[in-house]
Amino acid sequence: MTDAVATNETILVVGGGISGLTAALETAECGKNVILIEKNPSVGGRVSQLYKYFPKLCRPSCGQEINYRRLKANKRVRVLTMAEVVNIKGAAGDYTVGVSIRPRYVNENCTSCGACAEVVSAEIDDPFNYNMKKIKAAYLPHNMAYPQRYVLDPSIVGPEEGERAKAACKYDAIELDMQEQALELKAGAIIWATGWKPYDAAKIQPYGYDRFPNVVTSVEFERMMDPFGPTGGRMLRPSDGKEARNIAFIQCAGSRDRNHLKHCSRICCMATLKQSTYLQEQYGDDSEAQATIYYIDIRAIDRFEDFYKKVQADPKVRFVKSKVANITEDRDTHDVFLHGVNTEGYHRYDNTHDLCVLAVGMEPSVRAEQINGNVAGDASGFIEMHEANGAIFGAGCASNALDVNRAVQSATAAALRAIQVVNRVAGAEV
Amino acid sequence: MSETKTAMYICNGCGLGDRLDTDSLGKLAQSEGKCTIVRQHDFLCNRDGVDTIRRDIDDDGVTHVVIAACSRRAKTEAFGFDDVALGRANLREGVIWVRPDTEEARETTQEMAEDYVRMACAEIRYMQRPEGNPNTGDNKRILVVGGGVSGMAAAVEASKAGYEVLLVEKSGELGGWAARLYKRVPNREPFSDPQDTGVEDLVKTVEHDKNITVFLSSVITRTSGAPGQFSVDISAESGTTSTENVGSIIQASGFSNFDAARLPELGFGASADVVDQAGLELLAGKAGDGPITRPSDGKEVASVVFVQCAGQRSDKPGHLPYCSGHCCNTSIKQAMYFKDTNPDVDTLLLYSDLRTPGNGEDFYRSAQRKGVTFTKGQVREVQTANGALVVKFRDMILDDDAEARADLVVLATGQVPNSGIDIEPAAAEDENEGSGVDAASNNNAAVEVPLESVLNLDYRQGPDLPHLRHGFNDSHFICFPYETRRSGIYTCGPVRRPMDIAQALEDATGAALKAIQAVENASLGRAAHPRSGDLSFPSFRKEGCTQCKRCTVECPFGAIDEDEQRYPVFNESRCRRCGTCMGACPVRVIYFESYSVDTVGQQVKAVQMPDETEEKPRFLVLACENDAYPALDMAAQQGLQYSPFVRVVPVRCLGSVNTIWVTDALNSGYDGVMLMGCKKGDEYQCHFVKGSEMAHYRMSKIDDTLQQLQLEVERVETYEVEITDIQRAPKLIDDYVNRVNEIGMNPFKGF
Amino acid sequence: MSVNTAMIEKYRNDFLKEVEENVEEGHWVKMCMQCGVCSGSCPFGPHWEHPPQEIFMMIRAGKRDEVLGSESMWMCTSCYNCIVRCPRELPITHIMHGLANYAHRLGLAPKMNPTRRFAKIFWDNIAKTGRVNELGLSLNLYFMDGFGSGVKKATAMAGVGVGMLRTKRLNPFALVRHKGVQNPKEFQSLLKKAKEVEDRRKGLAG
Repeated sequence: MTDAVATNETILVVGGGISGLTAALETAECGKNVILIEKNPSVGGRVSQLYKYFPKLCRPSCGQEINYRRLKANKRVRVLTMAEVVNIKGAAGDYTVGVSIRPRYVNENCTSCGACAEVVSAEIDDPFNYNMKKIKAAYLPHNMAYPQRYVLDPSIVGPEEGERAKAACKYDAIELDMQEQALELKAGAIIWATGWKPYDAAKIQPYGYDRFPNVVTSVEFERMMDPFGPTGGRMLRPSDGKEARNIAFIQCAGSRDRNHLKHCSRICCMATLKQSTYLQEQYGDDSEAQATIYYIDIRAIDRFEDFYKKVQADPKVRFVKSKVANITEDRDTHDVFLHGVNTEGYHRYDNTHDLCVLAVGMEPSVRAEQINGNVAGDASGFIEMHEANGAIFGAGCASNALDVNRAVQSATAAALRAIQVVNRVAGAEV
Repeated sequence: MSETKTAMYICNGCGLGDRLDTDSLGKLAQSEGKCTIVRQHDFLCNRDGVDTIRRDIDDDGVTHVVIAACSRRAKTEAFGFDDVALGRANLREGVIWVRPDTEEARETTQEMAEDYVRMACAEIRYMQRPEGNPNTGDNKRILVVGGGVSGMAAAVEASKAGYEVLLVEKSGELGGWAARLYKRVPNREPFSDPQDTGVEDLVKTVEHDKNITVFLSSVITRTSGAPGQFSVDISAESGTTSTENVGSIIQASGFSNFDAARLPELGFGASADVVDQAGLELLAGKAGDGPITRPSDGKEVASVVFVQCAGQRSDKPGHLPYCSGHCCNTSIKQAMYFKDTNPDVDTLLLYSDLRTPGNGEDFYRSAQRKGVTFTKGQVREVQTANGALVVKFRDMILDDDAEARADLVVLATGQVPNSGIDIEPAAAEDENEGSGVDAASNNNAAVEVPLESVLNLDYRQGPDLPHLRHGFNDSHFICFPYETRRSGIYTCGPVRRPMDIAQALEDATGAALKAIQAVENASLGRAAHPRSGDLSFPSFRKEGCTQCKRCTVECPFGAIDEDEQRYPVFNESRCRRCGTCMGACPVRVIYFESYSVDTVGQQVKAVQMPDETEEKPRFLVLACENDAYPALDMAAQQGLQYSPFVRVVPVRCLGSVNTIWVTDALNSGYDGVMLMGCKKGDEYQCHFVKGSEMAHYRMSKIDDTLQQLQLEVERVETYEVEITDIQRAPKLIDDYVNRVNEIGMNPFKGF
Repeated sequence: MSVNTAMIEKYRNDFLKEVEENVEEGHWVKMCMQCGVCSGSCPFGPHWEHPPQEIFMMIRAGKRDEVLGSESMWMCTSCYNCIVRCPRELPITHIMHGLANYAHRLGLAPKMNPTRRFAKIFWDNIAKTGRVNELGLSLNLYFMDGFGSGVKKATAMAGVGVGMLRTKRLNPFALVRHKGVQNPKEFQSLLKKAKEVEDRRKGLAG
């Protein structure tokens, strides 16, 4: 698929998460040609790593299934995985984009039969599970991976393991001499949808994420709930594998903080409210299961208020208006102690919890100013709407801290902005 | 139509050749399956395999192709032959991957494969290549209803892409609520000061855009038709009506302000100096750069208190249960109106949760810097005393009763959507006996929306879009915010969800894209989301129809109307191709070219039924193609196993399951029928809205039939399965099989 | 009219404004968003009657007497934990000292607060010669609460004192002759000037 032919009426979408996928599909379903570039071996992005969506508590892969079906059915979208933009030349309506493609060592012949993984013994950290789990070095990124094609980790591309994998493949799908590839693509408009990354929790020193095993991030907690995740879908403490029943959630871990991210990341309140419902799911009416949410303001905006009310009515969930001051741990049990003050009436606490989940903030994966050297962004690095950006349009979390619904909305809007440009190029009067 | 020529291609790759006797599968396809060509290939999905098929189609006139290999979800692009009718026999994920590779299992595994080959042959025999809906319109004009910021932005954005737009505004001028704002909340760095609304410029842009025709003082008095061919009556206040044709519709009918008179405890009405946010905008506009004066006596305001969540986030009757999202930022902006003119004005903002997402946090900080005081407090009462106002509240931080005196009190009340008539309660009253599904329970009771239709659709199911919750016309789906339940009609702005200007502009742009997409696809006869691109469409055999209206009532998208003789009129361009009508039809006259009562029914019948003595029961599993079927695929990928006695048939939606499939199955000796659909209820997962709900209801009705046949009701079960139920789905199957096995074999075997 | 009543008069109900204008770093008080991280971070936390975040709220609520008469801000040991953690970058330590200082100037600070008294003794000591007389300071502290308790405290510390004498960390003759700065006159005029500047800044001149 790397022989993608592109013209200045092609729309290039950078990033294959929910926003990029949406932008690509919505554009293509308007009859435009699209090239979708994804850095990872499969598309889907961060939503693939989520256990459930708020507020419906439905499964992200459900919508992904629909999107992948749209993708498979649409001949106007070409997907390039393991690909990254190196440079952008030209102007609106006439860009030339340099793209570099890392070798996958597995070609399109792959039937995802899994024979290679069976013979490979080396294991690597699983990035899909935030390195909390090991996987074979010949792997399908995850159950829903699209393209449904294996990947060989570069570490095993060599005489032993690599050759063994190659020998096991009956379909000549493994190419150990695959090289990095450089492409130049034409595009009329570019939709930049590189999404977000969780704020580095280790930088929040008083919370000891780098020191205490039982302090985890919200994104890691999400993986723990997946039956195919690092803990088999159970809330097990990293320190001793015991069930965590008394769980603390710390809001604004990095957000709304001049020392870290100055913006509010918007999603974390809802994400925590959602995660607090996982206790009911895991432990039913077990009264020992308790979630304590430490917050400054609960930002359950618009209809999400319904969900907030539902959680408030749950006897398992307790709210403490407080930014936790610091965390210490019991060296023997690895229980964590949260210290702080409930500011509603001044109540000091030193609470013990089995596990503490940091609702980490959102920052753009690629900061605006890093894109092509001159894309206008806000102080947090999110892409702004700006004339100087030509036909480079931000979509989804590359443009703001957004929930999935708003990211999709943003991507749909970006799709139209890109179409406006290529329609002008085509002189297409409808 | 050209002659039918069917070919089957059996893949021997991925272990299929080792695990199965593919030669006998081939013979079966030829003899029982009536395939003219049967080929085997070691690696069907590679270039050579695909070329082989391509050559047969091009050179040999093959019209119907069956791929006996992997799941339809795998290698979809490689096998994407769209010029033939295409079927897939799932021998990999459906057979060998879910069965152990043991000598013992070999026989039942082979039987499984044979049945899937038979089923695929039976299916393809009743399939035609979808040709696309012929009843299309190619009108590409877009109608925008509502001339506020959302509507104007949608119009301008669609025009920029080259589309013609009709913009209809009820009032005498464009601009909506935003035009009445003094300034707006900032949307760019440094997010610190109120910003010009930009509405004047937007109005000018609209007025000068030659692609946009504006109808002022006008409403929509009738809408009929379908995407690509809507016809609308635009009636002006003056009494004239013009009928226009458009391809798609954007409803940007905005919101009304919550009636603050419902908040007497907060002093509204009792004192002219208690205003809502809209009222303050008027005062600020009047004052311009000068000091804001209070309405009662024109005195310069020296102190003002903002009461957040006034009549919002409240369970009290008549209040709004939701948060309107923008009001925290709006009050901050309004407090700045005072501070920017005179820093000595006391501005106190009482909130319960301050909600300034994203860069709103900068705006919040900026207000604090300007001296706006923020207090977490619950307001109990606003009293009037000697020309001054006293706001009594509980200071939540100091845990203390407190009061603040003020010249002016501003109530942050919420947005009430102008979403037209809520058609579901009406439909529930008018409920047809055919449908047992209650109108989705909604919380609308608390929220009164104007009972005036916005679109006046002449659809069988009612004049407006169904409301989601609290009167908003939002999508039910997180991944698909524009998925309305009326094809070709999209909503944007605060009618969809409470929102501010920045969000409304973005939302309008997205809606414009969907409207453009709708007209492009409608003219090609293709389906819209979620089966986007599907060229099949529903037809019916009129001679068999009993005019029972079930299809017209149950269509989740209001696609089907009735003609004068009460026969269904399908409006194919409105249809989403879920097949709910087909499932509903008691006389089975509705069909799609590639999906019909026969394409599934004949598969059910094609399975070879061992007699009782063989102790090989047979179970039919009808699985939703979006959730249950992928879950089973992924279970196979994980090497999980399930009973060799089940035969799984994917269905478009559980709503399309016609009970005849179930009764036929039991009559022909199946020991049980299992339906796997998605989540139902308030938080339903079904992308066709009521499919799963409908199936549960219909299957509950089938119990009577079973009892008449003297069969145990447990033989037919309906389950909710999520796409992530990778471990649960196989287990559900096995548990079910075991349960039915305990009951015993179906006595109808061999009849 | 005392300074205090003058202030009350000047700011009537607006204690926040009074703090902003008269307290060092007082203009930061309004920036607090009541997260409480400072209150939880203070190592002396449990001893605070009103932790910093609550004091900020009390200032906004106009609780003038309670704030200025409070022992709380005198608890601050300048560990800077709160400043480091404050998401709004408030210089909380400095504000606490500013408030204490202001309360003291207005004569509202709790009379018997040990920190206030120590600060006073320290100041009087250093202001005399420009250099701290350590022995004098210690003795003043020991005898702060009267002769009896002074003897007791001094006796208890005798061992330490002898040790310091031996290692020449303590000069016994400092009681009679303490070596100040080289030019005491200039030092005194420096202090006087500084006070003038400070008073002018706080509007207390004249």
